[in-house]
Amino acid sequence: MQLIKEVKYLIGKELLLEWRSKYALNGVVLYVVSTIFVCFLSFVSLRGITWNALFWIIMLFASINAVSKSFLQESKGRQLYIYTIASPLALIISKTIYNILLMLLLTLIALGFYTLVFDYVPEDMGLYLVAVILGSLSFSTIFTMISAIASKAGNGGMLMAILSFPVIIPVITVLIKLSKNAIDGLDRSVSLDEIGILLIINVLVAVFSLMLFPYLWRD
Amino acid sequence: MYKSWWKILGAILVIYSTVFGFLSSVPALPILHESIRNLYFHVPMWFSMIVLFSVSVFHSIKYLSTNNEVHDMKAVQSVNAGIVFGLLGIVTGAIWAKFTWGQAWSFDVKQNFAAIALLLYFAYLVLRNAIDEEQKRAKIAAIYNIFAFPMMVVLLFVLPRLSDSLHPGNGGNPGFNSYDLDRHMRMVFYPACLGWILIGYWIYTILFRVSSLEKNKIV
Amino acid sequence: MKKLITTVLMLMVVMQLFAQDQGSSVVNTLAGSEKIYVVVVCVAVILLGLLFFLFSIDRRLKKLEKKS
Repeated sequence: MQLIKEVKYLIGKELLLEWRSKYALNGVVLYVVSTIFVCFLSFVSLRGITWNALFWIIMLFASINAVSKSFLQESKGRQLYIYTIASPLALIISKTIYNILLMLLLTLIALGFYTLVFDYVPEDMGLYLVAVILGSLSFSTIFTMISAIASKAGNGGMLMAILSFPVIIPVITVLIKLSKNAIDGLDRSVSLDEIGILLIINVLVAVFSLMLFPYLWRD
Repeated sequence: MYKSWWKILGAILVIYSTVFGFLSSVPALPILHESIRNLYFHVPMWFSMIVLFSVSVFHSIKYLSTNNEVHDMKAVQSVNAGIVFGLLGIVTGAIWAKFTWGQAWSFDVKQNFAAIALLLYFAYLVLRNAIDEEQKRAKIAAIYNIFAFPMMVVLLFVLPRLSDSLHPGNGGNPGFNSYDLDRHMRMVFYPACLGWILIGYWIYTILFRVSSLEKNKIV
Repeated sequence: MKKLITTVLMLMVVMQLFAQDQGSSVVNTLAGSEKIYVVVVCVAVILLGLLFFLFSIDRRLKKLEKKS
């Protein structure tokens, strides 16, 4: 029960900080919107596979930017403060949940703007939404842990990209396959395999982060 | 002498598999012809790589629970040995593919994913180089190693089964058991795998011994 | 070390040129005769890789010997 209370408190803190500065959300939304707009200006019209691939590439970079802030941004002093008031488990759970919320919001905004600009809607929008939600879920769980590792290692952004790409590529391949099924409007039962694998990956990543984070956190 | 029986066993198995790999009879296959004999040389490379990476994860776990730096060194050296085997596997695979399917890097899932798995461990080595402080480096690298391992398992064992591949046992291709591994081939293939795994382990112990000597000299 | 690396790189470039000149004949030889030579090349690559590895270990040991 102590854990749930701490998690709630920490999520509240994150949300409050975000609400005060609106820095992360605004910055990342601006980033996504301008990237999509640049893509629109250079491609003008896009269909099918390219549309899909471009969307995931944009989301990949946006989510690295958005999630890597969660640990890299924290100052030494604030980290010490959190260290004294909360357990590491509560911290990683709260960060992950906050990142999931942030990513969900971000991907939905991005998807909306993307379909609006390119004026193209996948055959099976429902399945595509499922893919996007699963994608933001796995991006945020994986990147949260990696950003914790990168921030402990000292030199931020560069290391974050190197460490996260090999880990995220399997997820991206499955996601692209799933969303391609949605674009082609295949029967939904075909895509159950991919959804299952994504869920399994998420559970695996969550379990491993929960087990490993306490070791990472205590210095 | 009694302790090095497994080295002798490995050497004998590798010699046996090389000699009989060339001499034993193989089933007549349409496109592969005699190059199916590569099975005894190309595939064991991957098995040794996977075993060496598993050894490394095992020692990373041990490091986190004991904080003994010997385990950290073991983890790094087994990654080094594993990378050598992985590179050999990729090169031989590319040569084999070039002369059977006409393209060194066709879009084969297993090939791509094996390359990504290697990238994962290159990232591990980069992470190690990025941190100066020794204990911190050992801890963070161990955490990344354990975190990345389930991803590698998903990458190499789960995802390839979902799509078509030139390798047997994937997609439309029948598995090992049905066509290319008849009784004669099994007699060579399994000893070859065991032999190369033992040789890989041997190389890893040598690397470990050299690096621990280096460490003692510096201190 | 630098010299060695440049030599190897240059060799690789030259090999590329060779392969372009007579690429088809090399491919034909390797692909012919039931493709057994593909296996030979792969075994040679594995051997070369392991030998190269052996050399690198040897160099490290030499350094150690010099220090002691």
